Amino acid sequence: MGKPNDLVQGTLDLLIMKTILLEPMHGWAIGKRIQQVSGEVLQVQQGSLYPALHRLEQQGWIKAKWAESETGRQAKFYALTGAGRKQLEAETANWNRLSAAIDLIVAEA
Amino acid sequence: MRWLAQLRVRLEMLFERGKAAARLDEELRDHLERQIAENVAAGMSTEEARFAALRMFGNPALVREQARGTWSWTGVESLLRDLRYGVRTLRRSPGFAAVAILVMALGIGINTAIFSVVHHILLEPLPFPQSEQLYAIWARSDAQGQSRIAASGPDFLDYHDQNKSFSTIAEMIPQFTVTWTGDGDPKLVNCAGVSDDFFAMLGVHPHLGRFYDPSEYARLESGSIVISYRFWKNQLQGDPHVIGRVIHFEEDAQTIIGVAPPMPDLFPDTDVYPTLTTRPSWDYMKWRGNKFLTVMGRLKPGASSASAADDLTTILRRAPGEPPDVRVQLVPLKDDLVGGVHVQLQIIMAATALVLLIACINVAALLLARSTRRGAEVALRVSLGAGPRRLAQQFMAEGLVLAVSGCALGVLAGWFGLRLMGRLPGLQLPRMEGIHLNGAALLTTAAVAIGTTLLFGWAPQLTLSRTNLSPALRSGRTETGRSQRRSFAWLVIAEIACSVVLSVCAGLLLRSFWRVEHVEPGFQPEQMLTTYLRTNYYTPEGRPFWRDVLAGVSALPGVDSAAFADCTPGKGAATATLLFSDRANDPDHAPPTQGCWISGDFFKTSGTPLLRGRFFAENDDADSPPVVIVNAEAARQYWPGENPIGRRIGVNYTGPGRVGKGAPRMREVVGVVGAIKQGGLDSATKPAVYMPYLQDETSHDMATMSLFVRSSVHAPALAASVRARIHAVRPNQPVEDLEPMTDLLAQSLATRRYSLSLLGAFAGLAVLLSALGIYGVVSYTTQHRTREFGVRIALGATRGSVMSHVFRQGLALTATGAARGAGGALWATQTLSHILFEVSPLDPVSFVCAVALLVFISTFACLLPAWRASRLDPMQALRME
Repeated sequence: MGKPNDLVQGTLDLLIMKTILLEPMHGWAIGKRIQQVSGEVLQVQQGSLYPALHRLEQQGWIKAKWAESETGRQAKFYALTGAGRKQLEAETANWNRLSAAIDLIVAEA
Repeated sequence: MRWLAQLRVRLEMLFERGKAAARLDEELRDHLERQIAENVAAGMSTEEARFAALRMFGNPALVREQARGTWSWTGVESLLRDLRYGVRTLRRSPGFAAVAILVMALGIGINTAIFSVVHHILLEPLPFPQSEQLYAIWARSDAQGQSRIAASGPDFLDYHDQNKSFSTIAEMIPQFTVTWTGDGDPKLVNCAGVSDDFFAMLGVHPHLGRFYDPSEYARLESGSIVISYRFWKNQLQGDPHVIGRVIHFEEDAQTIIGVAPPMPDLFPDTDVYPTLTTRPSWDYMKWRGNKFLTVMGRLKPGASSASAADDLTTILRRAPGEPPDVRVQLVPLKDDLVGGVHVQLQIIMAATALVLLIACINVAALLLARSTRRGAEVALRVSLGAGPRRLAQQFMAEGLVLAVSGCALGVLAGWFGLRLMGRLPGLQLPRMEGIHLNGAALLTTAAVAIGTTLLFGWAPQLTLSRTNLSPALRSGRTETGRSQRRSFAWLVIAEIACSVVLSVCAGLLLRSFWRVEHVEPGFQPEQMLTTYLRTNYYTPEGRPFWRDVLAGVSALPGVDSAAFADCTPGKGAATATLLFSDRANDPDHAPPTQGCWISGDFFKTSGTPLLRGRFFAENDDADSPPVVIVNAEAARQYWPGENPIGRRIGVNYTGPGRVGKGAPRMREVVGVVGAIKQGGLDSATKPAVYMPYLQDETSHDMATMSLFVRSSVHAPALAASVRARIHAVRPNQPVEDLEPMTDLLAQSLATRRYSLSLLGAFAGLAVLLSALGIYGVVSYTTQHRTREFGVRIALGATRGSVMSHVFRQGLALTATGAARGAGGALWATQTLSHILFEVSPLDPVSFVCAVALLVFISTFACLLPAWRASRLDPMQALRME
């Protein structure tokens, strides 16, 4: 596990929403998936993950459902709402624009 | 839709918060379990796996708090928590909470009740459509010295026919009584005679049936009557089939054609509304000099009251026999009804505002004192990370609990107080019916009280959160900062000052009242019975009635003497003007006096001393030379230093309904008597002339007279016999207001007595509250200096010196407060000057007594804490940190 980089709150929201775009997941799985997909670079602290998840739920971008998990216990699965999908697109576009701008500056010799 | 999802989540957070919290725990536990499982799968032992997972997870409590922090309604949740905490802390100091809530409740309750009364009586418009266009029409003539002259029948007809500014003018005889010989005993009913257009002018509609037709006014005996709502409800039991029922008044049978709606402002106790022209014997409606009608009108829209007054003045001056300077005044109807009590009510309102101020100051002082004990708690919270905003919220919540309880109790107190005021006997305020708790008053007083509580609950935190934390934590107390001690001092001083002002005002009123009560009335009201007899004997043919009544009553056992007069000592007398034979007379400025027609034994019955000459005798009747008796004041004014006996004067008697036929006869002055207070006890003594009633030469003979009986018999038994004797002469004669003279005089003092009691009660309350305030403040400040006193005593100070030290402090506060209060009172009492009687607004006795009272009470309030301070065990005090 690499040193966890500081993730800005907005970016974490983006990652979470992208992760659950295809299928609903519970919190632990989301954290694990982000870690995996980023090649172990991004490691989400539980102290940031759950507040972020709950905040997104309060804001209506994601919705939660309690269902039976693979272990047989009830777990809270998060899924994107329709508005969440649109927000994800907007955030992605934003991120791309932002990172391209930063790249431009950083790349200058 | 996002908002739908949001709404769902918010509702869940509102109603199922507990379940959501449990689920959060479940969620986090689940995460932990999975991590542990992963670690175990990676090869760690269970123990290691657990530790590693926990280390990764971080502080579960913190994570939980952070997650919960994102939930909606957290603001409400923390507020509720603060409120619950506030209630708990208040329960720990029940004494403080009880006193604070009680004081606030008193202030709010009293103010709301009084303001509701004042608002309803003075401010609320009359319940008639466009009531601001309704005016009462009076005439005034400075030459005659009269400011409220009623109208006569012909005057009214002139107004009615010739005016251009009123859409409706109506006349009314506001109060007279007839006997209802209905079912059961004959009863007196109150009548208000109305002209046509009267109900239309007010804009009211009949509750049942109809009002009069114009034709019913023209006919002298229409046989129709409109009754009042009150009469219908009380005497006829609200019978829905009352229309068409026949009731008997005096000798006439009347058919009820309608029930008027309730009109408690104008007619609080009227039973029936007869038309003004139905009584065939009402000849005096045609006499121009007979001024007794109340005239009211509704202005045309767009007309101004000034131009309307001019219009009517022109009309009135055209009439023959009017003084040339007469002019018409229009008084808005509401003001006409309540004008008399305006000043009294305003004074009472000022007093209640002062009481509210004192109550707020008291609460502020209590809160301030309490805050000094919470230094340790605040220090602890600050060191745990509470920011100033969080602290402020906590203390505001506490203040809110206090304020809301105080308010709730205050509303209850106010409502209760209003009910109580409605039932007070002897309270004769106009428009008393329908007074309800006034919402605006409640809101204002509540806002003031709540504002004070919140401010003083919260303000000390400004200093507390910046205090040095560690000594506060160690010692459990904070030092009472100098600024706080000064605030205490100023609060107490302000309280005492307000109390002094109230006490001085109450003292002044008390002295006025005492003076009025002890005014020398000029006659002896004890053992004197009086009654008012109205008849319709307007001609000399009616004289046998009076003669027979007088003879019958005088013959009763135990009766010393009986007499008639058409004036009532202590209540009222009519005005007359004089013509002198021994000097020049200016007809435009004829000197006004009070005039009275009396029977021979009047002065003997009333107990008035004869100063010179003689009383009237049996032979001073219609056939003998006209005579007159003057009172000492008249003798002093018109014949200073001389003997008026033998002089001749003519009396132009302008009493109600009287018109002199030609010039009055010159009468010889045969006696001088002591001056009787003919007006109220607090009016000035005026010159008066008395003439034998048998020598009345005006156009209108004795129709209404007051009977006076002096006897040693107990009043109720005598009253029954007198009534029986009168009825023996004329059955069905209404006998009104049969009461001892002392009761009559007491009634004239009723308003004064009422104001005095209220103000006295408020002053008493203020003094009590101030005493409480001083006690509390001195108590708290000395408690903070326990250690200091312990040291002093240990170092050899005597108990006495400690006690006097504390005592002196308290006294210094009192002295400053009293001095300020006295200064304020000097200014405040100027406003009382026109209701004071023979007492100067700067009366030193009242000032000195009020200040002394307050100093006395404060002394006691300081004594207890001082004594307690002196009883300190120095060892305990030093040890107590």
